[in-house]
Amino acid sequence: MRHHFIDRYSDLNSPVHRLDPRVKILLAFLGILIVVSEPPGRLLPFAFYGGLLLVVLLLSRLPFAFLLKRYLILSPFIVMASVFYPVSLYFAEETQAIAFHQETIEVALSIFLKASLSLFLLIWLISVERFHILLLGLRKLKMPKLVGTISILMYSYIFVFWDEALKTTRARESRTPGKLQRIKLRTYANQMAMILLHSWERSKTLHHAMLSRGFHGEFYSMREPGLKKADVLFLALFLLLFLHIRLFTDPLFIQ
Amino acid sequence: MHISDGIIDPGISIGALVASVGLVYVAGRKVPQEEIPKMGITGAALFVVSLIHIPFAGTSVHPGLFGIAGILLGKRAFPVIFTVLLFQSIILQHGGLLSVGINSLNMGAGAFLAWLIWRQQRMPESLRAAMAGIIGVLIPVFLMVVEFHLSGYGLGIIYLFSVYIFAALAEGVISLFVVKFFRKTKSDILA
Repeated sequence: MRHHFIDRYSDLNSPVHRLDPRVKILLAFLGILIVVSEPPGRLLPFAFYGGLLLVVLLLSRLPFAFLLKRYLILSPFIVMASVFYPVSLYFAEETQAIAFHQETIEVALSIFLKASLSLFLLIWLISVERFHILLLGLRKLKMPKLVGTISILMYSYIFVFWDEALKTTRARESRTPGKLQRIKLRTYANQMAMILLHSWERSKTLHHAMLSRGFHGEFYSMREPGLKKADVLFLALFLLLFLHIRLFTDPLFIQ
Repeated sequence: MHISDGIIDPGISIGALVASVGLVYVAGRKVPQEEIPKMGITGAALFVVSLIHIPFAGTSVHPGLFGIAGILLGKRAFPVIFTVLLFQSIILQHGGLLSVGINSLNMGAGAFLAWLIWRQQRMPESLRAAMAGIIGVLIPVFLMVVEFHLSGYGLGIIYLFSVYIFAALAEGVISLFVVKFFRKTKSDILA
């Protein structure tokens, strides 16, 4: 597993990439909070949220093909959750009659739009900052220390675990060439247990090495985040715009 | 099994996020130093297996290993599950940023109950292991049904989530074999 998988576009040079990680985290978190707090069935504001998101994406200089591809990979889950809404009403006797009313469809559509915009904000977040800097930003935002410690260990151990998974898969395949005739849960479960055991031994060694170098649960970076005026202004401006749409978009305007 | 942002009521998401941060503090108090690598590697395992997608009933499911997390970590499973879901939400966009709390509570409850079952020493070990695996999936699914219903979804959602019964059975079998393997090779790993 390569780091490229995680930090693909985080090294681009754009005004957004240069912002403090806390600003990006807060913008994504509060942006999502504002979007999802829209009352069910209200559709017009999503056009404005979409426009605002487009401005943020343009400022970030991210390739649209990448954003769209990532969205399309994950969108089936959103589509399913939206379709589930009228379908779940249809399958229950007491709500069957209202399952495909216009209002129900509008609620399902608003679920789809809320989830889609939130997903775009999440894709944007991981694309404009290195993952370990985001973790550092979260820690600066008072994320519990234990979560920070587990995060930094997990981040290194994912690669240890992945290496062990490849090694044991190679060993299994060399003993049983070709595909398994049928899925054998026992074979996979034993392999999983073996990977866990091997990587646990390696992780203990790694942890001891980290402790001997002074690791005490906190993590640092060569690029320590520091809030500047521009960061605060950027966050304030976009949050105000999000809030303005949330509070002052008149649903009657749609007619 | 991850709830994305925007699907359920934001009040539930925010309340659950606050509650889960509180639970992280409670479950993570006075963690012995030697437990830390075990927590890290179990978290890494949970993250990596979530990348294995098995097409099923028009959608895809992935192993969760919440039963095994409960067996290996006991009440310390919650901070690990919270961290894994935070990773999944940021890196893979599975679930959402606001929904990390509700997803953690759902899956953490599965791991916690799996641990409670695992501690019932009077039952045969194989049965406890299999039940822990099954409960680790069924409890989160049950809680999801309740949360969807509270957010306006109809009771018909029960039928749609019933596909997870097969995933739960598969996890039960996996947990059984994993525990048997650990018992044979390194039994002190079992909490």
